[in-house]
Amino acid sequence: MGLEKVDLTKVKPYGDTLNDGMVQMSFTLPVSASEEAKEAARRLALKMGLEDPSVVSMKNMGPGFSFFIVYGRCGESIDYTGIEVPKVDVETMSKKEVEAFIEEKIKRDITIIGACTGSDAHTVGIDAIMNMKGYDGHYGLERYNGIEAVNMGSQVPNEELVAKAIELKADGILVSQVVTQKDVHIPNLTELIELLEAEGLREKMVVVCGGPRINHELAKELGYDAGFGTGSYAEDVASFVVDEIVKRKLI
Amino acid sequence: MSFVDLIYGKYRTVSVVGMGKNAGKTVVLNKIIEEAYDRYISLGLTSIGRDGEREDVVTKTDKPVIHVMEGTIVATAQDILLNSDARLEILEVTNYRTTLGPVVICRVKENGLVELAGPGNNEEIRGVAKKMLVYGADIVVVDGAINRKTSASPGVTEATILATGAVVSRSMDRVIEETAYQMELFGLEAVKEEKIRTFAKEVIAEGGVGIVDQGEFVRKLPLKTALNAGRIIGSGLTEDSRYIVFSGSLVKKTIDDLIAVTPHYKEVKFVVQDGTKVFIPREDWMRFKKRGVRIQTLEPLHVLAVSINPYAPQGYEFNALEFLTKMKKALRVPVIDVMLEGDDFHDELYG
Repeated sequence: MGLEKVDLTKVKPYGDTLNDGMVQMSFTLPVSASEEAKEAARRLALKMGLEDPSVVSMKNMGPGFSFFIVYGRCGESIDYTGIEVPKVDVETMSKKEVEAFIEEKIKRDITIIGACTGSDAHTVGIDAIMNMKGYDGHYGLERYNGIEAVNMGSQVPNEELVAKAIELKADGILVSQVVTQKDVHIPNLTELIELLEAEGLREKMVVVCGGPRINHELAKELGYDAGFGTGSYAEDVASFVVDEIVKRKLI
Repeated sequence: MSFVDLIYGKYRTVSVVGMGKNAGKTVVLNKIIEEAYDRYISLGLTSIGRDGEREDVVTKTDKPVIHVMEGTIVATAQDILLNSDARLEILEVTNYRTTLGPVVICRVKENGLVELAGPGNNEEIRGVAKKMLVYGADIVVVDGAINRKTSASPGVTEATILATGAVVSRSMDRVIEETAYQMELFGLEAVKEEKIRTFAKEVIAEGGVGIVDQGEFVRKLPLKTALNAGRIIGSGLTEDSRYIVFSGSLVKKTIDDLIAVTPHYKEVKFVVQDGTKVFIPREDWMRFKKRGVRIQTLEPLHVLAVSINPYAPQGYEFNALEFLTKMKKALRVPVIDVMLEGDDFHDELYG
């Protein structure tokens, strides 16, 4: 069976065959499971624009709540060729190249501080970037020659992170955050930037955020120099930071 | 009441800052654009975040587009310049870098939509505002992002408009309290004594923390920052101390640590550069005030108006008229609901 040719200007969801538009979604309604609730779920899917929606599963979620899985056909398509997502615009260097870059262009050791700030206790991201043993075969910043990497761990208040950055005369700050559904981490991320501004340090440091729901575009809104999503490694972050130090003449 | 009346002839750079996402900053910006057009005032526009894109990157909600008029100067990032359907003449590609490419300054040659994403830090915002004035803007408007407020600092823009709304809390009273608190911080009293001001300016320029004792004896503490140093600063106070000057931020923990180690803080005024340097949650501020903590500033912040948005993207809304009336009662500056102004309520509200 050969692959059918996909028209990239009109990409539709794929169910069983190309362009059938089949979509599966799930949601909860704040009413008990009943035939009326099922019909409500179907009509809601219709209102969302799905054709021929069918409720394939309904489960009671305790008094006053019901959970649904709905199939339906999506008539919309997307022009894939017209999509451009801003990404961190720097060529990733290997660990060795980063080390050589620091030696040749910066000519001194640099200090990078990493932390999960505020209430965030998810250290897996920052550890993957910072830890000596690294992650997935990519060594962390602690192993880099020319980088003094300080991992402050989890639930670090912004003010302590900034105090540490001042004490160590940090060149870069890495913040890892799991931006949650209700966006509660967003004010925490902006507070760090505001604190750095108040301390007169913002333009003197490279400040980077990372996490599963962070991207380069959001980083701009938040006031960061770059945003790294999942699938980023230490060398991606290191390449950006050292390049930025040179470009912004922070040597 | 119009925003431009409040700005024109008095201030050349104005920031719009918000209490949160979807507080209505861009709506204010659009109102200013409309008012300026009617009066032949040319604007310079930029944003510390990103504005004018159809969909918000945080909440995925629809955002207002920005329609600019011929003659307007805009400073925006190269990568999104192409998203604009206004015809633009490039005046300068600056050295200011953003996640969306370098900031480019353009003059609008033909009305249309633009997306704005200017420099992200205050130093560069100051620079780009200056350039836009040189290129002929009468007023430069700097739009904010999310809840970032330091672009309101008098060192960055001369005056500010605060946008607030239902997005801050489900409780209308809570929104009003939080907004009134923000206004209290922005309106902190300025230090009057000339000698203290001179010393405070020195400390702020050099960095660190300074203390003024009775008889105007001044001394600097050997600190680079007040952060994590509340105890050291507190131990540096004597019964003769009258002012502490903080060159950077003043955070809750610094005050908590300071007042834990000395009773002398009650005779002392805490001096910061301006209201954007204070980072204290409202509840803690109430507690500190009760215990006798007083904060003064070196530079007053000019808040021209507060704009309110009774709609929250979380899916609830306030009674617009009640919200406006209550907010007006709580604040001493003009309160404007841009959306209400245009409709039937107008006469009732503004006579």
